[in-house]
Order: sequence, then structure tokens, then C-alpha cells
Amino acid sequence: MLVGLGTADDAGVYQISEELALIQTVDFFTPIVDDPFDFGRIAAANALSDVYAMGGEPKTAMNLVAYPMQKLGKEILRAVLAGGIEKIREAGAVLIGGHSVEDDEFKYGLSVTGFVHPRKIYTNRGLRPGDRLILTKPLGFGIINTAIKGGLASSETISEVTELMASLNKTASEVSKSFPIAACTDVTGFGLLGHLAEMIDGTDVGVTVESKNVPVLPDAMTFASIGFVPGGAHRNRNFRSNIVRLSDDVGPVMQDVLFDPQTSGGLLIGCPEKAARVLKNQLISNGISYAAIIGAVHDTEKGIINVI
Amino acid sequence: MVKTLDARGLACPAPVLMTKDAVESGDVTTVEIIVDNEAAKENVSRFLGSRQFSVTSTQDGTDFKLLAQREGTAKDPLPAVESKPAPASGTQKKIMVLIATDRLGFGDDELGQKLIVSFIKTIKEMGKELWRLVFVNNGVKLTISGSPVLEDLLAYEKNGLTILVCGTCLTHFDLLEAKKVGETTNMLDIVTAMQLADKVINL
Repeated sequence: MLVGLGTADDAGVYQISEELALIQTVDFFTPIVDDPFDFGRIAAANALSDVYAMGGEPKTAMNLVAYPMQKLGKEILRAVLAGGIEKIREAGAVLIGGHSVEDDEFKYGLSVTGFVHPRKIYTNRGLRPGDRLILTKPLGFGIINTAIKGGLASSETISEVTELMASLNKTASEVSKSFPIAACTDVTGFGLLGHLAEMIDGTDVGVTVESKNVPVLPDAMTFASIGFVPGGAHRNRNFRSNIVRLSDDVGPVMQDVLFDPQTSGGLLIGCPEKAARVLKNQLISNGISYAAIIGAVHDTEKGIINVI
Repeated sequence: MVKTLDARGLACPAPVLMTKDAVESGDVTTVEIIVDNEAAKENVSRFLGSRQFSVTSTQDGTDFKLLAQREGTAKDPLPAVESKPAPASGTQKKIMVLIATDRLGFGDDELGQKLIVSFIKTIKEMGKELWRLVFVNNGVKLTISGSPVLEDLLAYEKNGLTILVCGTCLTHFDLLEAKKVGETTNMLDIVTAMQLADKVINL
């Protein structure tokens, strides 16, 4: 076993030979958007993301379904699974089975297996002083999903956030392979600062995050400023308050955004400064238009995240 | 009309959704809400503030009581967030401006220099649709120290505009060191940017 439960990594990794290791991960959740096909795409992109966050390639996937068949009927499920398959194909993987149970509350997701070269695994830990941090998708998905529940989000906003959540982290992971990556994770339920905390808590490095450089969906700021913030954002902040220091310039709304739980969020990648600048440009050239350098790693204030 | 709500035991965003339903159902002037956590207190207060209510909160044991009163006349009681122009960058038009010269147009060079300065200073009027400013050939001379528009370009970059400067061109003019703004880039990035842009303007 190369990566297990110890470091809160995105997936488990098991070495098979000198050249091959298996990445295994599983993820599923309840619907977050109304359209069943979109929900399928988002849930699949979210599950596949853990393989990309480890630097691997997804190979096989299995459906996980809990479904109230009497209440919702076959058609909705069919659309969800079709959305999932579209993303599995886009990832270059194949669906090889699955399991479903009858449940009052609908849940869908995937178990995904991927391949990676044992020496080319991206892990959470490994940031070094001088590294820069790149984020590949904007923040605010949780806040906007909350506003969707409240009936406040416009159809343009819903479709923008849906496409961002449904987009695979495949390109970001592939483009980064020609760069010296120190550490990588994907931003999901703990929010940006929660996942960053996992990367540096108890290590010999500290980080400074420049909040003005963090890409944020403009509507997320609007909705957070009128109170549409998921409960998870507050739990994430309370959980990490001991190692996160927020400067006075970071207002309460931005704090909520930085801890906003993301569904199928972007990759958070650490690599040396010069490489980070080129990587960011290449990500943007490859259509990852929100990619931005959001912070720096240093050897002072070890294990602390400073947000300015 | 006074509404009283009990949002204890509810996690965010439920208290906000409950408050929203209450203030949107009929002519509510005063709302009293009880919540049992700091996050709900904060979010409900923000929401009511956005709906022109003034909010006072008092702590009652582990609960918070929020008393909200609508301010002034309710001529626009519910500003619909939806109606705001959503500056959604994903759906926004992307304009790329390719600048291959340090003077605008042909004829009088002195006039041409004045015009390019005026052009760069005015281009911000494109607003958020301006996506990339790319300098090639003689255009790179606008990005070096002593350029009459350096301050403007630095301000644009600080504002989040991506400015790309052709590395081959800087090398050709021996200006790599003198460049003061923008990211040095290559032809592949420029071509890719052209492909991604909705509109490319050449100067």
C-alpha cells in the first residue's frame, strides 16, 4: 500500500508492480441540481476527480445507486445514469458494473479505479518552501447550490455552475504532468482552506493565501452577502480555526467563500514558482480559464495558513 | 404585519429559507426569529439586511433572538437578485486585442503615438468583456519601462486583466529585461487564446 487512510488523501493507492499502482476511490451523494442528466454528469465528474487529484488515469467505474423506484420511476434514473456514462467515456474509462438498492432518498455516484505510475503519484503532502499554489476552478459552488434551493439563482447562473461542476479535472491533471508537482488535491467538501489545511497541518511549511487572487464566481459573493451560505462553510471554518489566520482585510463574505464546501471542485496544485507561472498559462490556454495562482508556501509559521 | 419564526434546531441554509418565505408572503413589517447558532444568526441577519430590514439581536441562553423591522417605505421591498445582470465570466463574451504596433494607424507617426496612448487608456471601457491584451512585434515596446501607458497597463493587470507579451519579440528587440508588465508568452499561447476568444481585434 502506497497511500492509505493516514494522510486524508483523495484516494487509496496500491502498488502492483514497479510500473503500476492502482488508485481506488468511491463517492456518491444526493441530487444537487434539478436536471437528472446534469446530476449524473456532476456526480460522475466528482467521483472521477479523486483519481485525477492523485495524478492517475481512470480505467474502470461502477455505478452506486440508491433509488426510490416507486416514487420517481425509471426515466429519471435512466437520465442520471446516461449523464454518468457521458463523463466516464470522456474520462476514457469504462463502466463495468454497479449495484443498486431501493431507498427513500435518491443517491448516485461511482466507484472508480485508475492507474498511475508508482513514482508519479500526486499526494496531499509534499509542499516545499517556495512553491506556489494553483487553483483550477472558481469557488462558490456550495453557496450557489444553496441559492438554487432558495429559488434565487437565475437560469444563466445555474447553467454556468452546472457546467463547472460537471467539467472533469482531466485536462488540469494531464497538463500538470509535465511540471514538477509537489502536491495536489481536489477541493471538495471541506472548502479551499479546509483542504489546504490537510496539506500543511503538522508539516514544516506554512502558506499564505492571497484572497484577492482566488477565483470566485461573482454570484457566489452576491448570494453569500445575503446569507445563502451552506452550514458546511461554518463547520469547516470552526474545525480549522486553530491553524487558519484571517487578516482583517478578508471580510465575512469572503471567509464563507474560502470555506464553502465544493461539489466537484477544482484541483489545488503546488509547484515551484517559475513552473507555476508557466503551468497557469498552459492551463488557461487549454480552456481552464479560471486557473490562478492563489498563494505561496514558506518555511515560517509552520503548519499555519495566513489569508491576506 | 408581524411574523414570528422559530428556526431552532435547523442548520443553514434552512433558517434563511424560512425567513425568505416569511418576508415574501404578504406585507410583513416586523419579523421575530429565534435561532440557536452563530452561523444562522449571521446569515439570517445578512438576508434581512439585504431586504431593507434593520436587525437587532439579543442572546437568550444559547439562543439568539433577532428582531427585524422594515426600514422606510417598502417601495422596492424585494430587490430580486435574479434581475441583476449576472457578470458570469463563463458565459461572458471574451474579447482579445492583439497589438502589433506602438502607434495607431499610418501617416503621421507623432499622431499615431498619441492615438495608441489614448486607445490603451480608453480600452477599459470594454469592461469585463476585455479578456486578453496581447502585445507582439513593435507593440511590446508599450510594456517596457518608460512606456507612456505603463501605469495604465499595470492598473489593468492589477484589476485582473491578463496581459500577454511576445517573448520572441522582446528577445528580438533585446527588451526582455526592460519589460515591466504582463506575462511573457509564446506563439502557441497566443494562437490558443485567439481560438478561445469570441472576438479578436487586431491593431
